[in-house]
Amino acid sequence: MGLSSVSSNTEDLQFCVFDLKRGQYEGQELDKILFFYPADLPFPSQLSVIGLSEGLITFTSIFSPEAPCEVIEAEMHSHVFYQAEPDIWMVMVVEKNTEVQAVWRIDALRNVLKEVHSLFMMFHGSIRLLLMKDPTGVIVRSHLYTFILDYLSAFRKWRTLDFCCCDFLVGKKLHLPSFRDSLKERGTVEMLTVGREAAIEVQSLVRVVESCGGNAQCYSLLLFQDLLVSTTLCPDDTINLFTYAVLRLTPHALSSRQSSWSYRGKGNSGSNIITKSSTEAAASFSEQHSPNSWSEDHRSIPRPLQHDKWSKGKDGFLVNDIWHGDSGNSTSPTPVVYLQQTEERMYLCAYQHCSLTLLFVVPVSSIINGEQGISAVKQLILDNASLKMSKVEEKLSKGWGGENAYHVSGYRYLLIDADRNISRASPPSKVATLAKDSLLFLTKLRKEVDIEKSRTRWDCPDHDRDLEICIRAKNNAWVIARATRGKELYMVLENANETVLYASDAVEKFSNRYCNGAFLD
Amino acid sequence: MSAIASSSQPVVGLSSSGALSHAYIKYPPLRYNIPGSRGLFYDDGNKIIVSPTNNQVFSWKISPFTPAIAPTSDSLSEGPILSIKFSLDSKLIAIQRSNHEIQFQHLETGETFTQKCKSESESLLGFFWTDCLLCDIVFVKTSGLDLFAYNSELNMLHLVETRKLNVNWYVYTHESRLVLLASGMQCKAFTGFQLSSVGIIQLPKFEMVMAKSEANSKPILASEDVYIITVYGRIYCLQVDRVAMLLHSYRFYCDAVVQQGSLPIYSSKIAVSVVDNVLLVHQVDAKVVILYDIFLDSQSPISAPLPLLLRGLPRSTSMGSRSNDKNGENSEVNYLSDLEAIIYGDDWNFLIPDLICDVSNKILWKLHLDLEAIAASSSDMASVLDFLQRRKLEAYQAKHLCLATARTIILERRPLSLVARVIDVLVSSYANSLKTGNYFKGSRSEKRAASTALHENIPAAGDMASASRATIIGKSFEYEGAGLEGEYFQASASSGSDLEENGTMGYLRTDTNIDTGKVPIGTETKIIEVHPPSVQADYDGLRNNLSGTSVSRMQERQLTSPVISPDEMYSFVFCPVEEEMAGEPSYLVSIMIELLRSANSEKIKVHPNIYVLTVQLLARNEQFVELGLLIINKVLEPSREVALQLLESGRQNRQIRKLGLDMLRQLNLHHDYIVSLVQEGYYLEALRYTRKHKVVTVQPSLFLEAALSSKDPQHLAAVLRFFSDFLPGFSHTSDHKAYYHLLTEMTLAPVS
Repeated sequence: MGLSSVSSNTEDLQFCVFDLKRGQYEGQELDKILFFYPADLPFPSQLSVIGLSEGLITFTSIFSPEAPCEVIEAEMHSHVFYQAEPDIWMVMVVEKNTEVQAVWRIDALRNVLKEVHSLFMMFHGSIRLLLMKDPTGVIVRSHLYTFILDYLSAFRKWRTLDFCCCDFLVGKKLHLPSFRDSLKERGTVEMLTVGREAAIEVQSLVRVVESCGGNAQCYSLLLFQDLLVSTTLCPDDTINLFTYAVLRLTPHALSSRQSSWSYRGKGNSGSNIITKSSTEAAASFSEQHSPNSWSEDHRSIPRPLQHDKWSKGKDGFLVNDIWHGDSGNSTSPTPVVYLQQTEERMYLCAYQHCSLTLLFVVPVSSIINGEQGISAVKQLILDNASLKMSKVEEKLSKGWGGENAYHVSGYRYLLIDADRNISRASPPSKVATLAKDSLLFLTKLRKEVDIEKSRTRWDCPDHDRDLEICIRAKNNAWVIARATRGKELYMVLENANETVLYASDAVEKFSNRYCNGAFLD
Repeated sequence: MSAIASSSQPVVGLSSSGALSHAYIKYPPLRYNIPGSRGLFYDDGNKIIVSPTNNQVFSWKISPFTPAIAPTSDSLSEGPILSIKFSLDSKLIAIQRSNHEIQFQHLETGETFTQKCKSESESLLGFFWTDCLLCDIVFVKTSGLDLFAYNSELNMLHLVETRKLNVNWYVYTHESRLVLLASGMQCKAFTGFQLSSVGIIQLPKFEMVMAKSEANSKPILASEDVYIITVYGRIYCLQVDRVAMLLHSYRFYCDAVVQQGSLPIYSSKIAVSVVDNVLLVHQVDAKVVILYDIFLDSQSPISAPLPLLLRGLPRSTSMGSRSNDKNGENSEVNYLSDLEAIIYGDDWNFLIPDLICDVSNKILWKLHLDLEAIAASSSDMASVLDFLQRRKLEAYQAKHLCLATARTIILERRPLSLVARVIDVLVSSYANSLKTGNYFKGSRSEKRAASTALHENIPAAGDMASASRATIIGKSFEYEGAGLEGEYFQASASSGSDLEENGTMGYLRTDTNIDTGKVPIGTETKIIEVHPPSVQADYDGLRNNLSGTSVSRMQERQLTSPVISPDEMYSFVFCPVEEEMAGEPSYLVSIMIELLRSANSEKIKVHPNIYVLTVQLLARNEQFVELGLLIINKVLEPSREVALQLLESGRQNRQIRKLGLDMLRQLNLHHDYIVSLVQEGYYLEALRYTRKHKVVTVQPSLFLEAALSSKDPQHLAAVLRFFSDFLPGFSHTSDHKAYYHLLTEMTLAPVS
């Protein structure tokens, strides 16, 4: 897939994080700003974006204190709001591209904000906490800058030919979730379907691994390729660790450093493109454009989203050179993450065997002598579980149908289990074959469903909405949305040019075959 | 573990000393003291001991071993007696009168006839009755074997077949149907014949290994140094090499004899017994016994050498009166103290497989294993359980020990890998017993007894498995084969008539000795034929530990084998353990997963109870994500029980409730699904579902009530309309009237 026609120039995207509690007095307004992209925008312009947002938030919260403002649809721009933490807001301003009738799906954009914040929280803790530690905001700002820029670099796609001219500002495009990604759901995990026997083996493995942490409550996450196999974490933490693993830890993510140009698998046509983009770019970018918040000592800020920092060690555990030890060790210490579920600090270990990646978190409090204790736990895992691991890997590899395993011919679909934050979709290469019209219609349909869903959420939170929409697109494709008790199904049928009965028949067949009849009346 | 402690009570409580032992003999012994006795003969074909006097012959059944048994007597014509054996149908009695002649006497009529050797040059070494199809009795002579068939009409023997070869001495056990004929200068060249029901199998000639003490000396192998034993249905020969101080073992296949290895011996006098397929090597001089389980062909003993103990000896005189002996109390006490002194005495005569005859005291002991002590002596739980699972004789105790061990290791929170191995052992043993079909009690064993005749060729074919095949396929084959062999071998080891008799006798005895009235059926008794009822009494003691009907159910089952079904694992391991470990469900869930893994690899169905318990544990621990995964991946197989438990456990968690609902739907449990849907408030969806699946069992009032409670007149109207349209005659029911009335009230209310 070539360059998307719906990619915005840097100038078209504005991204800011601000704190309503700060800068209450005239002349201190700049204090509010915790992050602004592009950083080279003059402060008055930055302030005007934030001022508008703040005003609207304050205004709307009069009517709806629980959920003030979600979006501003202006003529040229859409402002997407996300309240990350109490009084801490993230706002993304995207330009509307009227030429191609491209529409942003606001929920998809908000999910980007949500994701970056969740990941930030996982590695650095909450913004509010950092602000409390350092009221000047210097630490928060430097953390946010490195982190968000590293994150956005995942969206940055290089024009292949321009790569050599290292002018990142011109050659760089940000590729935000567009209509082409309407058969995708950010903030969900994709799971591997396993048979009962393999599932038991997996469970057995997980239990053995978690017993290695002794009496402490440990958690684990098991991935096969880029698909989740098992988790013992709560859904939010699962999503965060899963996202991080897919971005940086799975064999695909690791191999991207070797083969600089081949981005494989899901990255192919998706927004989630992981290329060998220069991480130095982000650093120099920040250095150039926000010298006030980027000083020499900030180089010690761990940048977990930096590219190419992870590699597989000799013992199968993944090692990185992101985190720097206090004592100046040559080896990088084990990263620490914050879990939302328990609000506990956990060491994160990752073990890889062929296509299998095991993430394992142990409470920091349970490890007495730091790195030494961690390596003892690692050794225990190697001793007890490595055999099981290779057995599981073998079993899963045998049962795996490859990258197109979940392709259902004739269908282009997205299936979401909102209760469990799981999604499954047609493989990106198959979605790419859809006509643009179909995708545009689907985006519109999804927007409608989003609105419907959020209404239901407020009206009766305990009751899931049932809905069924079939639309005949301009190009005679059927675009279908179904929602039943927490499960959503979106579908494009381009060859079903018959009646609506035919379309609903096709949905039922799909539902019976692949969803255990969940979408049956 | 309290269970262990109390279970040991019946065994240890009466013990003469607190000393440790793995094998023991138990007081009271069988006394065969008959005035005027002219010796004692062991008739292993009929499992009796025989003691003749001048004109009578007394015989005691030793299977089942009942110390208080009264002898049966038959009259006998006078004359010298070298050997005496009843025919397998107990109609004839054969008495070897000299080296040349054997006298036969018909027991009912008293008619006699004599069979003599043809030539004076050959002499008779002995004889044995056989259930071989060709012949009834075999004479072993220095010149070979003579096979005779008995003709009951003419009341005489006629020669069927002769096998010519030089024989120095021979050994035979009825259990193995194998006769080994020693020849040569050193008596170490052997020819073997198995006279099985399918015919006569001649084994290839083989030589036994004998070390030389000096260059010129040639030790001669004595018949006392060769034992034929049957372990797990396989036939072995053990040979004592006095010079090398080794006990060589040879295994017999139908076309080969393979030396298996050598066990060290520590005494110049050695005796061998087999109790419940465990090999006991008595180091008589050292007064210790070493136990081997040669199932896995391992040469290492089960445990350290320990003395043989006499247990159950009454300490007080009142206890002494328990024995049925008529002696005075004082002499009884003296006698008892004598008994203690004579362990491994010179007059002990070891009878294959598990009897000890004390010739001077004229008593017969039966050897027992102390499974509990053996289990306690090893720290390798998995191999201990493996050992226990192979025990047939004291199956209940073995089973009980297994369950107790399983509970203990879980309660002690042993590492998961260890518990997993233990579970693997139990499950694979269960799976194996399912395969060989000996798990099912009662009807099944009856069937097996009945079909013994059909399968009579199995022991021969199976046991004498071709050596080459066995070596190629290896242990797994042997394991599977062994179960079969063992079972069928035992079944066919006793002849048909004998089997019946055993059965009825066992029945009567158990009936009189066990006060509980829990009488095993006759065919089962056959299986525990070597079970002394006194052991049964121990079981009663054991049983008090557990309670209720489940135990009696278990007790019935124990009669065949100690295997533990996953179901029993649930009731006797997980349930009690779960109560005690209420605080940490996670560990227990891990063990359940191991059980499921093990069961799945053996393709065994697991009772939904286990799934239900897993759901409960996970829900209690609020591990909803894992629970979801287990359900979605069908690790916890869908069933109504599981679905209802999900609905129950998910009261606080909608996602879990949904999983339960989905499961009901996928199982096509329409009624449950619809009722649950309505309870969740999805009554409109439920209505659609009823229509689609034509479910008529759910009352309209359920839907109407749900719709009414929503306070939405549109919904109520929709539901009313639905039933009016699709349920014939609904508009005339009281439901319709009542809810229609309510609906009009509802719609009017906002207006007024």
